[in-house]
Formats: sequence, C-alpha cells, structure tokens
Amino acid sequence: MRSAGVSLETYGWLVLAFPLAGTVLIALSSQLLPSKLHGYVGTLAIALSFLSAIGALFALLDLGPEERQVVSVGWDYANTVGVDAQLSLLLDPLSVFMSLVVSGVSTLIHLYAVSYMASDRGYTRFFAYLNFFVFSMLLLVLAGNFFLLIVGWAFVGAASYLLISFWYRRTTATAAGIKAFVINVVGDVGLVLGTYFIFKHTGTLDFVAAFEGAGEFARNDGDLVAGCLLLLVGAFAKSAQIPFHTWLPDAMEGPTPVSALIHAATMVTAGVYLIARMHPFFEQAPAAADVGAILGCATLLVAATIALVVTDLKRVIAYSTMSQIGYMIMGVCSAAYSAGLFHLMTHAFFKALLFMAAGSVIAAMAGDQNLDRMSGFRKAMPFTFACMAIGGLALAGVPPFAGFFSKDEIISLVIARGDWHVVLGVLGFAGSFLTAVYTWRMIFRAFYGPPVEPALELEGGHLHHAPEHTNPATGEVEDTDVGFPGADHHVAEREWSMKVAMGLLALGATVAGFLQVPQVTHVLHDFLEPTFAESRFYEALEPSGALTLTSLAVGALLALGGIALAYALWVTDEERRRVTALRGRLSGLHGFLARKWYFDDLIDTVVVRPFAMFGRFARDVFERVVINGVFVGGPSGAVRAGSAAVRAAQSGFVRYYAALLLVGVTALGLYFLIAAS
Amino acid sequence: MSVEWYLVVSALVFSIGAGGILVRRNPLVILLCLELMLNAGNLALVAFARAHGNQDGQIFALIVMVVAACEVAIGLGLIVAIYRRKLPIDVDELRELQG
Repeated sequence: MRSAGVSLETYGWLVLAFPLAGTVLIALSSQLLPSKLHGYVGTLAIALSFLSAIGALFALLDLGPEERQVVSVGWDYANTVGVDAQLSLLLDPLSVFMSLVVSGVSTLIHLYAVSYMASDRGYTRFFAYLNFFVFSMLLLVLAGNFFLLIVGWAFVGAASYLLISFWYRRTTATAAGIKAFVINVVGDVGLVLGTYFIFKHTGTLDFVAAFEGAGEFARNDGDLVAGCLLLLVGAFAKSAQIPFHTWLPDAMEGPTPVSALIHAATMVTAGVYLIARMHPFFEQAPAAADVGAILGCATLLVAATIALVVTDLKRVIAYSTMSQIGYMIMGVCSAAYSAGLFHLMTHAFFKALLFMAAGSVIAAMAGDQNLDRMSGFRKAMPFTFACMAIGGLALAGVPPFAGFFSKDEIISLVIARGDWHVVLGVLGFAGSFLTAVYTWRMIFRAFYGPPVEPALELEGGHLHHAPEHTNPATGEVEDTDVGFPGADHHVAEREWSMKVAMGLLALGATVAGFLQVPQVTHVLHDFLEPTFAESRFYEALEPSGALTLTSLAVGALLALGGIALAYALWVTDEERRRVTALRGRLSGLHGFLARKWYFDDLIDTVVVRPFAMFGRFARDVFERVVINGVFVGGPSGAVRAGSAAVRAAQSGFVRYYAALLLVGVTALGLYFLIAAS
Repeated sequence: MSVEWYLVVSALVFSIGAGGILVRRNPLVILLCLELMLNAGNLALVAFARAHGNQDGQIFALIVMVVAACEVAIGLGLIVAIYRRKLPIDVDELRELQG
C-alpha cells in the first residue's frame, strides 16, 4: 500500500517532532492552560508520534528489502575536513522497530500517568519531562550518526535524572537521581571514547559509512576491541549491567510511571539497541562481544538472586529488569540479534504492565512499597491482580505468554553458538527458574494470604489513606505540596485510563510472543533482516529442531516449577513463617543477597571513597596551598603591596601635591639642562 | 634692555608664586599665587617674543590669559561653594579625597 504522499523520511522526522512539540508546548503553556489538560496534550503528542512510526513502518515495507536503509539529512551541523556532523536520521528496520516499541509503550504509560499523577502538584512538569524523555529516546534510536547518537544518549540520561528526582524535596529521591546521573555519565564517556576509537579508523561519523568500513578492521584489532569495550561501558551503564547496575534499584524512587517507562521499557534497553546497531564492529571484535555476553549472563544471575530477597515491591521488578536485560545483552552479544530485540519488545510489554500493576498496589497501600506489609490484595483488586498475573506469567516464561518464546529463543540461539556459549545458555535456564520464583514470590506475597488493613478498606469501597504522609523509605514526614507526592492515590480499579493502558499491555504481553514462534513464524526475524544483512551469524545461526524443542520444553518446565516452588513457599501465612525460619538458618546467604552481593559497598570502597579522599586532598592541600597560596596569593599580594604604597601618597593635602609637582618638574628641567650641556 | 632682566623678574615672580602656594593655606591666596605664576610665565613669553622679534610668544601669552581667566572662574566658584557650605577656608582641612 502506498502511503498517500508522505515519504518515509517525513514520517521519521514526524516521529521526533511530535514529542518535542509536546515538551515545548507543555512547558510554555504551563501557566496558560489548566494543568489537567497537559496530561492529555502529552499523551496525544506521543500517540501521534506512534502513529507516525506506524506510517514509517508501512512506508518502509513499501521499499524492496535491499533498499530498506534510508538516511535522511536535515542539515549539516559541521562538515569540514575529517568531521561530518550532520542532523541525520537512519531509517531502517531496526530503528523503525525501536521507535514503534518506544512510542507505543510510551503512549500507554502517558495514558496511565494521566490518572496516576492526577493529584500531584507537579503534574505539568511531569508531562513536560516525560515528553522530553520520549523525544530523547527516539532521537537515540533514530540517530543516523554517532554524533546524534551521543546527543540522544546524553539527553536520555538527563531526562532520567529529572524524572528520578521528580519529587525533589525527598532526599532519597535526589540522592538516587544523582547516583543514576553520575553512573550514566560514566557510560556517556565510554560511548564518546569508543566512538573516537572507531572514528580514528573509519574517518566518518555516519553510521552507514562507518559500518562499511568495519570490514577493513583486522579481526580482533586492538583499537577495535578497545572501541567496542568502551561502547560496552556506555551500553552497560545505560542498561544497568554489572558493574554499572547499582543505580537502577535506587531509581525506583521516581514515580511509578517513570519506573515503567524509563527503567523497564525504554531507556534501559538502549544498551541492547546500541550493541545490535554496532553489530558490524562487534562481529569483527569477538573478544569484546564475548566479554559482553559473559557479563550479561552474570548480571542475569546476580540480579535474579537479589530479587529473591528484596522486600521492596518496585525493587523486585527493578532487579528483574536488570536480569531480563542481562538476557538481551547476552543474546545480542552472542549474535542472537532478532531474539534479543524480540525479548526487548515483549519485555517492554510485560515489564511496563508489572510496574503499572505495582503502582496500583502501591497506591492502594497509600505509597508504601514494602512487601512485608502487603498481603491478600486479590479480592480487593481483581483487575490489578489479573494484570499482575499475566505480567508474571509472561516474565516467568510460561507458554503461551510472550516471555516464553522470546527468552527461550535467546537461550537456544546462545546454545547453538556452541563452545563455551553452551554454559551461558545453561546458566540462562537457571536464571529463568529463579525468574519464575522471584516473580511469583512477589505476586503471592502481595495478593494471597490474609488481607491487610488497606486491602480490607478497599474491599469495603474506601481507598486507604495514610494518616500522615511519609517517605516510605525513611519515614520522614512530608506534605503534599510540589516536590512531594500528591495527596490522593489512584488505583487501576477506579481509573479508566489506567485500566485501558494496563489492559492493552496485558494483551500485548499475551499475544506478542506469536510473532516469533520457533519453527513456525519469523515475523520479526524477517522484518529485521535488512539491517543485519551483512552479519555472518544472522541467517547462519539457527538452532536445530531438537534443540529448539528441548529448550522450549525445559524453559516451560522450569517456569512452571519455579511458580510451583513459589506457591509452596509463600502462598499462605503459615508457609511464610516457615520461610522466615528458613531465612534465619541461612542468614549468611540471605544477608549476602540482601546486601546485593556487596556491590554498593564494593563500589563505595573502590571508587567513591578514594575519589572523596582525593577530593579532600585536593581541597586541603592543592586548593589551599597551591591555588590559594601561590597562584592567587602571589599576584594579589604584589598588587596589594603596590597599591598600599601608591595609596600612602594620596594624603589629600593640596600643598603636598603642589610641592611634589614642583619638585618633579624642577627635577625634569634640571635633567634636561644637564643632558643638554 | 637685554632679555635677561625680564627673565630674572619673571623667575622671581614665579618663585614667589610657587612659594606662596607651598606655604599659604587660604585657597584665595593660593589662587592669587597661581595667578602670579601664570603671569610670570606670560612675562617670560612676551620677553622672548620681543627678543626673537616675532609674535608667537605674544599670541601664546594671550592664550595663557584666557586659560587663567577660566581657572580663576572655577577656583572662585569653588571657594564660594566652600564658603556657602560653611566649610573651613583652609586647604589642609579639606582633604576628604585622601587615599
């Protein structure tokens, strides 16, 4: 079908233009329009962007498979010898796929936030930030050169900082925002330096030209491996992989729609996108790709074990996000590109859904996120429970939900790589068992068992409100003015927009898996094929029929087994007490996991403290002695002494001045007389 | 009469003026002394003009008179202002501009 007159390039620019226009409009009209309207303006902007992305999809499908790589140059930013910084978009199946996922999920999350944030005093600001984030993310995925990619990359980090610290009077939230920003900037530096290593050899910033130059590198060329490892630093910081993962759990201080949008569905998948986009380099530098695959696998296991003991509802989901992104990173680093991106898409659906359901539960608990205080919400919130269960089934990988197909496809492709990749695949299976356990531990603990006070209140038709607003993390007393959460809470059961958003995502989490049923459908694989046309693995890497079936069967069994174990352990109060007793006996292990494998402490000791010490040294010795003493003190002392001497001559006695004048003129006259004679 | 005599008188008048400026504290007298110095200069200029036989020095003396008139106008204005504000008529007391 020919799209009436609008070209692919125009659609590409429109995808970017709508969120940007939304941001500007909301920001400029914040005092003019009623604040309620801004939520709808923001949602509409993103929805239009999604429609443009669909338009771009159809326009792309109109082209022949080998033509599906269109570069659209807006204008040259700087085009001089050796540098070609342009405002250019690369429209190919990968970027269109990513913009569809980003704008689609964002639309639903905006819709959810319209209700969820309704009583917040920072409502308008929230939507301006949220639109800005979507714009940045779309810029990141549509960028046609390294220059624009870095701009989008940094914008996304900034938007994440703004949104994590959205409740800026909460000290815990601002601290989390700073942590996220600092770690993200480390990643930005990695990306910039990695780009430099590649630019040094290819001599161009443009993606298409740079990828063509990738073949000229020797295999595992030193510079290329260094460049790819630095790109991995960028990807890992953004995607919260070991050792740059510690910011993500803390980022849960942000409002729940932010967690759903940024820290589950879109921003944290930027690393996966980056590796998939840079696959020509990673295939030439297998050493770097292997490092990525191993660290991804390590992350998925570490995060899954931590998620087993965390008691904060949102943090369980956050660790699960880290773990699932570990799968994707492991996949794309092992050349399972379409599988990794497929999991990216299904994960966006079910993880956003889980966060939204969690937000609804947290609202019912009046802001409390502690699983220890939740129980028995099943009857009070049937809709939320259903959504949470669908998300949980998809996340655990129970057939036929979306996560089942995508996760098992990654694992079977990784195993099909052979050699030591088999170990990664097997560890991936272990991870999927843990995934099922921790997901359903969370669901059973929140929804089963005897109903707690807020659940009973909700069953009686009244939404629980805490007598006093407090920070759930520290217990500090708060008001409900701007900078703190609003006064009223909103649950999915009562708000149509939250219900619609969650319902659509639940639908996606249920059926999205059928895009890629092994051996049957290859929709995504075929669609993405032009992007990965020159990849050595894309077509070649194909698990055998037996391996596919085995891994599907094992995956399904592990998922069901995990859920069964969680059911046995956490569904009733009595069993929960037994688990508590068990925890007492395994206190060493539990403590180790509850302290998150001591990663925070490790980074604190290795990085933060030495830097703080160095900073203090710089302040006390360098700043005070060298800078203040020598550089500042020297010249200023000389000027002060000189000016004191001059000032002393300014006595104010007119006769004294006259005398000086006379003496001076006389001396000058005498000098000339003597000189002339 | 040779030019030296004129110059001796001029130097004497100039020195009297300069000495007056240095020792007297009344601004009015200082102004008078300044006038003496300027006119000593004028005398020297006119004497030189005559010795050289051209008019350049005389013209210059006229310009000095104009400048002197301006200076007197400003100086007297200042003195009147000082008097009106009931400040001491003493240049040593008027030293607010000291560094």
